[in-house]
Amino acid sequence: MKVVETNNLEKTYQLNNLAVHALRGISLSFSPGEFAAVAGPSGSGKTTFLHLVGCLDVPTAGTVSVSGNDTAVMTKKELAVLRRKTTGFIFQAYNLIPVLTAFENVSMPLVLLGIPSGEVRERSEQLLADVGLAGMGNRRPKEMSGGQQQRVAIARALVKKPAIVLADEPTANLDSVTSREILELMLDLNEREKTTFIFSTHDKLVMDFARRLITLRDGRVEDEVYR
Amino acid sequence: MKLHELGMLAGMSFRNLGRHRVKTVITVIAVAVSVTLYIFMDGWLLGMTLESERNIVAYETGAAKIQTQAYFDKKDDLPMYESFGNWEPLARVLEDAGYDSAPRFVFTGTLHAANGSAPVLCTGVYVTRERRLLRYPDYLDSGRFPAAGAYEIALGMLTADKLGLAVPRRMDAEKFDRFIETIAPDPSDAARIRGLYEARDPVNGKKWPFSGDGDTPRKPLVYLKADAEQSDIEYIWDRMGSAGLLDVRIFTTIDIKALPERIDASRFTEDILPRFSSGDRGLLETVYEADPVLGDYFLVETGTDTAEKALALLLASDYTGAVRHVNQLIPATVTGVVNSPNPKNNANTVYMPLDALQDSAGLQLDGAVTELIIRRKDANDASLPGEFESPEAIRSVFEESSVPLPDDLVVKGWQDYVKDYISASASDKISTRVMIFMLFLLSFLGISNTMLMAILERTKEIGMLRALGMTDSQVLFVYALEASFIGMIGGFVGVVLGCLINIPMVTIGIDYSAMTEALSGDIGYRVAAFFRSAWNVPVIIGTFFAATLVSGVMAVLPARRALRMPVTESLRFE
Repeated sequence: MKVVETNNLEKTYQLNNLAVHALRGISLSFSPGEFAAVAGPSGSGKTTFLHLVGCLDVPTAGTVSVSGNDTAVMTKKELAVLRRKTTGFIFQAYNLIPVLTAFENVSMPLVLLGIPSGEVRERSEQLLADVGLAGMGNRRPKEMSGGQQQRVAIARALVKKPAIVLADEPTANLDSVTSREILELMLDLNEREKTTFIFSTHDKLVMDFARRLITLRDGRVEDEVYR
Repeated sequence: MKLHELGMLAGMSFRNLGRHRVKTVITVIAVAVSVTLYIFMDGWLLGMTLESERNIVAYETGAAKIQTQAYFDKKDDLPMYESFGNWEPLARVLEDAGYDSAPRFVFTGTLHAANGSAPVLCTGVYVTRERRLLRYPDYLDSGRFPAAGAYEIALGMLTADKLGLAVPRRMDAEKFDRFIETIAPDPSDAARIRGLYEARDPVNGKKWPFSGDGDTPRKPLVYLKADAEQSDIEYIWDRMGSAGLLDVRIFTTIDIKALPERIDASRFTEDILPRFSSGDRGLLETVYEADPVLGDYFLVETGTDTAEKALALLLASDYTGAVRHVNQLIPATVTGVVNSPNPKNNANTVYMPLDALQDSAGLQLDGAVTELIIRRKDANDASLPGEFESPEAIRSVFEESSVPLPDDLVVKGWQDYVKDYISASASDKISTRVMIFMLFLLSFLGISNTMLMAILERTKEIGMLRALGMTDSQVLFVYALEASFIGMIGGFVGVVLGCLINIPMVTIGIDYSAMTEALSGDIGYRVAAFFRSAWNVPVIIGTFFAATLVSGVMAVLPARRALRMPVTESLRFE
């Protein structure tokens, strides 16, 4: 079964009475364990694609299926629950909760899933160790570097063992050395956990790491390469 | 929602408070001030209400009264002609059932003293019964309560002071000299009395003669020394009595129900007769006959049943001519000055033995009284009348006895006689609560504003929480809880401060005697000197919870607004 399947996906925004066609019929599918990057210039539609796949937005036309669920027929609350169960997000600006510690940020998705507190502790500490932050669980985001914060974000995305991790420009705020470290970490986790990663990026480094590279231009798939 | 999920969300809400410390602290202060003021005002109003109600019952009305229905209907006019007699059997029934009762006759008059006159509300009292039932006779500033059968009166402090019928507390120097000359012709008496007074500056209280540079040329007043003992005051009072300063006269008008001797012809035929049926008209025409020379109608039958019926007919109609007014001047000596905790006793009130009013030199009452006041024998002054003292319970005493309550008499509870207090207290409660509500509204608007700013600044964070799979209601809960924490902390601080302020307010109170004096004791509330608060625990607890709950609700609107924004837009928000 495909983890994500999009069929003739279209998204049009109304901007001052002007229709902006962000996506113009994209049909793609992703299998479990893929490490894929969606690349393209600014305005090509990569973030919009990621948002639709992550059920954060609804398409103007076409369908998105996540883990076999047709998102078009789901309510707002059902979509929230689907995101909670199946999808991990990594953002360019990390988006950690500043008042929570690294450990609490990581454990939040598990708590929302109603996992027993003992298991929450165990899995969160394991993930923090996996991303190289063992012993730093009590630190607040502002006490950590950008790379460390992005590691926390990765741990937060992966802790619930999601079917899919969507990473929107995850290395844009990091230097090249840290970016490489982060990508190696994600690749390692991808191989170990068989989690599907889909990046939106225009970072050459990310594209080099990707096993599948999809290039968008003007809302259409321009090129698709498997490595 | 599971416990550890609740814990996580609550923890997040609580820690979020620290993100806008200044705003949070200001909002907490606003809530705390509102809660403090509410607790203070509520306790104060409750204290005033409790104290007033106790004082009304213990000093003014007793628990209930028996009056004629006609008197009760017109009680504001003090219709002395609607009195009733033969109260003794009723008092005996009450006595046997465990109640004290005291007959009274209430009338108005003008008190003439050497130094002036004042309108007064006079109450003829059965001295021993009155002393057993009400407490004001124990609160005499000087002198003693009038003795039964004597033409003596006890006078309210404020009127006594105004008319120079109380031991003077202060007066100007010239008046003081005249006062001494009048009451103490003997030099040794004069010296003793002079020694009880001292001259002081009326503004800064400095003793005369003044010394030093800062003195002003103000004329001093002579004050009774603060350390003057009760025996000294009684001495001055006795001297005043011996000098005749306490002799007064009360001018009043006695209202008597009687058939008028003469009725104008046109009044009788055109105004009175058309009010009645033909049978009743016939009865009136038997009692009154037209004089063939003068034309007017004259009373020709008195003392018969027909005359009684005719009087009853005229009284029942709107015709006012069946009440005659007779002027009377009653001589009396002021034997005591009442200064009780209930300002009503201290205003323009006169208490006089009822038996002295009975004869022709008094009010010619012929045993009539306007009311019989009632209180349980073992009643505790600190508590309000209970079930046993209700009008229904008292009525049932008569129903079960061999002496029924006559049909024209009614039993009414004390609340029916203090409409002025009830309206003052109700309007005070409303206006105070409206004021505090406005204050609360301001603090809640403050909370709403704080939350609006917080939510606006955290729009992106809200988008991320929703992306992680938090439902809208969970996000709403986080923010409502955050606002509730502000209300809770503010409420807690407010409750602590409110209670701290209440402690001295309950134990000591505020001295308002100057205000009650300035308003001649008529402030609605029945508290003469110290206004004390009372503990209202349910309101204190309720205020805390209300502040918490309403604060939480104030976050709902801004949070819902933020949740209407699509997640993608929230994530892009800068």
